[in-house]
Amino acid sequence: MDRAILLLSVLSLGVSSQPITEGQRLFSIAVERVHNLHLLAQRLFTEFESSLQTEEQRQLNKIFLQDFCNSDYIISPIDKHETQRSSVLKLLSISYRLIESWEFPSRSLSVGPAARNQISPKLSELKTGILLLIGANQDGAEMFPDSSTLQLAPYGNYYQSLGADESLRRTYELLACFKKDMHKVETYLTVAKCRLSPEANCTL
Amino acid sequence: MKKVVEVFLLFLLLVFTPHAKGTGNSPPGKPTLNRCRSPEKETFTCWWEPGSDGGLPTTFALYYRKETSETVYECPDYHTAGKNSCFFNKNDTSIWVNYNITVVATNALGSTFSDPVDIDVVYIVKPNPPERVTVIVLEDKSWPFLRVSWEPPHKADTRSGWITLVYQIRVKLEQEKDWETHHAGQQKMFNVFSLRSGGTYLVQVRCKPDHGFWSEWSSTSYVKVPDYFHREKSVWILIMVFSAFIFLILTWLLHMNSHSLKHCILPPVPGPKIKGFDNQLLKNGKSEELFSALVVSDFPPTTSYNYEDLLVEYLEVNVPEEQELMLEENKDLHDGCLKSECSTSDSDSGRGSCDSHTLLMDKCGEAKEEERQTDQERMGTEAEDMVSPDMSSGRVKTWPSVFSPLPQYSSNTLDEQSSLEMAKQHYLSDSQFLPSSTSSYLTQPGHGTKEALGPSYWEFCLSNKQPHLLHPQTQARQQLQAHSDVDISSIGRKQAPAGLQSPLLRPTEYVEVQRVNEEDMVHLQPVVSGCGQNNCSPQMPQGEDYSKVKGVDSDNVLLLQRNMMEEDRCPCEHQETNGVKENCYTSSTVTTTQKPTAMPVQDEMVLGMNGYVDTATMCILPTY
Repeated sequence: MDRAILLLSVLSLGVSSQPITEGQRLFSIAVERVHNLHLLAQRLFTEFESSLQTEEQRQLNKIFLQDFCNSDYIISPIDKHETQRSSVLKLLSISYRLIESWEFPSRSLSVGPAARNQISPKLSELKTGILLLIGANQDGAEMFPDSSTLQLAPYGNYYQSLGADESLRRTYELLACFKKDMHKVETYLTVAKCRLSPEANCTL
Repeated sequence: MKKVVEVFLLFLLLVFTPHAKGTGNSPPGKPTLNRCRSPEKETFTCWWEPGSDGGLPTTFALYYRKETSETVYECPDYHTAGKNSCFFNKNDTSIWVNYNITVVATNALGSTFSDPVDIDVVYIVKPNPPERVTVIVLEDKSWPFLRVSWEPPHKADTRSGWITLVYQIRVKLEQEKDWETHHAGQQKMFNVFSLRSGGTYLVQVRCKPDHGFWSEWSSTSYVKVPDYFHREKSVWILIMVFSAFIFLILTWLLHMNSHSLKHCILPPVPGPKIKGFDNQLLKNGKSEELFSALVVSDFPPTTSYNYEDLLVEYLEVNVPEEQELMLEENKDLHDGCLKSECSTSDSDSGRGSCDSHTLLMDKCGEAKEEERQTDQERMGTEAEDMVSPDMSSGRVKTWPSVFSPLPQYSSNTLDEQSSLEMAKQHYLSDSQFLPSSTSSYLTQPGHGTKEALGPSYWEFCLSNKQPHLLHPQTQARQQLQAHSDVDISSIGRKQAPAGLQSPLLRPTEYVEVQRVNEEDMVHLQPVVSGCGQNNCSPQMPQGEDYSKVKGVDSDNVLLLQRNMMEEDRCPCEHQETNGVKENCYTSSTVTTTQKPTAMPVQDEMVLGMNGYVDTATMCILPTY
């Protein structure tokens, strides 16, 4: 269903003369998808955390203070000011990179076989949607001002380098980082959508 | 010296005084960070709870560290958010960054660190309550509803999409205690339906970011719903109409089944029913029709002779003048009647059977009386029609066949009898013989002759049993009492011109049944015993069988003929006009005959419709 909508949107992009409208619709779809992913990540993390014992929880908390997220190399606005200062395209690209960075590691999210299966394909679909949005908003001669943003960080190696002995810690980190990144993407996409929406009150 | 001691004492005091004061002094207790909140995901505030202060003035300091660096920063603002708080403004706030915050309490004796708290601003968002909540009452086809509208908290930047809020509304009646909560989503307007007429409602709104905490409830808004009683009134009207409709249906059903209900509740009292009685005729006032309807065709029996009926028609004619004359003869009769008890009982239902003495006595007495009457009449009176033309004037007595001895009427007395022809016919029939249901008739003597017509008695008393029939000697001598139209007048007349000019000439000829042979023929013979006194008609043959029953025709009519043993036999069907030589008279008309002897016997029966037969002898025998 979503793929059909995406195909339709691609077709309509080529045909329609109002890409903004299509973009809005695509944005809405993308926002909704990432919102669901974020909720899923939140649930996974809460379940994992509840399964831990108190001692382990405290220790993990202390360890987590160190930045272990794989997406830390991706520079992203970390407050509202920066976010609003960023262009839509930048936001879209950052989102795309974040999603892409989680495509591979999400397979190792070992909370449940069902959850693992759900995350990867959803991420893939979302990535495709964001790519469409980038293409839709890339009209004009607006080039990426910062080529560094387009750099795709090497992925997949980071987590593989870690040993498998600390699986518990690794799962905790994965889940925490995943949850945070999903929230980031959701926020970026929402802001980008609202910026493109002609209505003043974009939350409706 | 004293000054030194004073100084020393003062010093000691100074030294000890603080000790005396600060017996509870200790380093401050451990403060705790109890909560940190961000109202709009741009700034946040943390509050801590101080521990014991240790008796000394304690100062607090908050230090934090971001996840990306090791630099420890101190809280930039301790006052904005109130006491024991730290406010982080926009510049100091980073999203998606872990903060490690610690509070330190310091007093003169030392400082105490609190436990560090890790927060991410994104997850501590608790917005302010929605603002400008307005509630109005709107009409929707006379059904009112509430429209609640509000504004997001002014700090929350929902317009740029930085923060997405969802709202919740709760409503309750003023007097109730349970709230009714509605989820409004991201919209800023909501409708509340199903309101109670005339009630006061309380409305509150709150909001929450998509990943965060619920805000506090907004201030209560009061709204009063106007009365819409007319709406409920229409419901009552509908209910009333419906009930009336059902009531009408029930009444109609009751009316339809009123008859059956009446029969159930008040069963009709059974009344006497007369067969053939029509109430409608009575109501019409036509009594004739009514009574004619009562008349059953076969009652009283006139035409049909049911031999199984035990009805005997008994017709009596009173001749008062001749009672004296009949006295003598009536003796015999009386005796005969007395003796005429039927030894056998009949099958009659008890109606005036010969068994009953009283009846028989009455009958005989009646006969006696009648005989007297007849005699008297015969003496000098003219022939009168004492004969009742129909049965209704006479006494019709019906009883079964009773065997009674043939009354011994002397012919002498008969001869002296007046011209009145009394036909006293005791027509008794039993089950074997003929039913004489309707035939009661009398021959009228009114032939205009002055001749005394003696009554001819045909008294036949037949016993039920056969042996009696064949027994002539017993007292139950068979006497056939046949319902006969005795041609009395003819008898009388016959005898009259026999030479006796006396009015008393006409003898009464009595016939008694001699026997009944096997051929079901009744042999009649004249009664001779009483002949001596009067002029017996010499022509009266003796030992002659009279009225031999020829037979019974198809109409159950007894055909009688005179049985002339020596002389000629007359065919029954022979019609006689002059009848001089003939003994059989078939014609019903009475003619003056020269026949003295012949007992006019009719062969055929003539039935008078009114029971009045004209010199017709009629005997009816039941056909076997």
